Amino acid sequence: MPDDRTHTSPETQAVTELRMEGVWRVVVLNDPVNLMSYVVLVFKKVLGFDEQTARTHMLEVHEQGRSVVWSGLREKAEAYVFTLQQWHLTAVLEPDEAH
Amino acid sequence: MKRIEVKLALPVVAPLLDVIRELADGLRKNLAAPLALADLDAEFHDAWVSELITSQSEDVQRLLALFNDEFFTEGVVAFDEENAECIVRACAAIRLRLREHYLKKVGDETLETGEVDMATLEEPLRRAFMCYLFLATVQELIIQHLDASILDS
Repeated sequence: MPDDRTHTSPETQAVTELRMEGVWRVVVLNDPVNLMSYVVLVFKKVLGFDEQTARTHMLEVHEQGRSVVWSGLREKAEAYVFTLQQWHLTAVLEPDEAH
Repeated sequence: MKRIEVKLALPVVAPLLDVIRELADGLRKNLAAPLALADLDAEFHDAWVSELITSQSEDVQRLLALFNDEFFTEGVVAFDEENAECIVRACAAIRLRLREHYLKKVGDETLETGEVDMATLEEPLRRAFMCYLFLATVQELIIQHLDASILDS
């Protein structure tokens, strides 16, 4: 994953640093194409879930349209989104307002 | 090394390869699933997309490499620890692309269940849907037999 960010001004840097702070959620969104068994495989492979946890999150995506699969620092959250995207799942980042 | 060989019906599968090859060309330039991160800075976004497209293209080339001379003489393709991960991802990419290019009118519920009366579909929709189901079958075979290899790699 590339990490060569450039910041052109102190103002931009301040905004970016503020954005990077706090807790972020990795949310996987439903799609009608990817197989349930494939999504379970990806959750196990990318997020290190056991079979039961992976199935629980897969069903949550399927039934509710989304599932929060990880939360933590922005940089690591971005890395998860990148890898999930590499496996063709649609994932987004959301700030965790509770933190 | 665990390896599975699958005998395919050449007259059925060969016509689907034209669809796969056509979509593979598009996947050299575009992501199969849109990148949904609006707040990445432009440079970072472009670097991500470039890296994802490279990875996606490599996966799709591995999938296309299955259909070599041996396939056209014997009708056999082989999956193993070396190619399983790339191929299962490539199938996902092509299936997403099929939806965008051919299958939107089929409807999401049909795409989820895979159940449709083929006789009601006209070309090129029919061939695209057969391709969609064929790639799902490949994924299921790999996940059923090589799941552990992918997780350990």
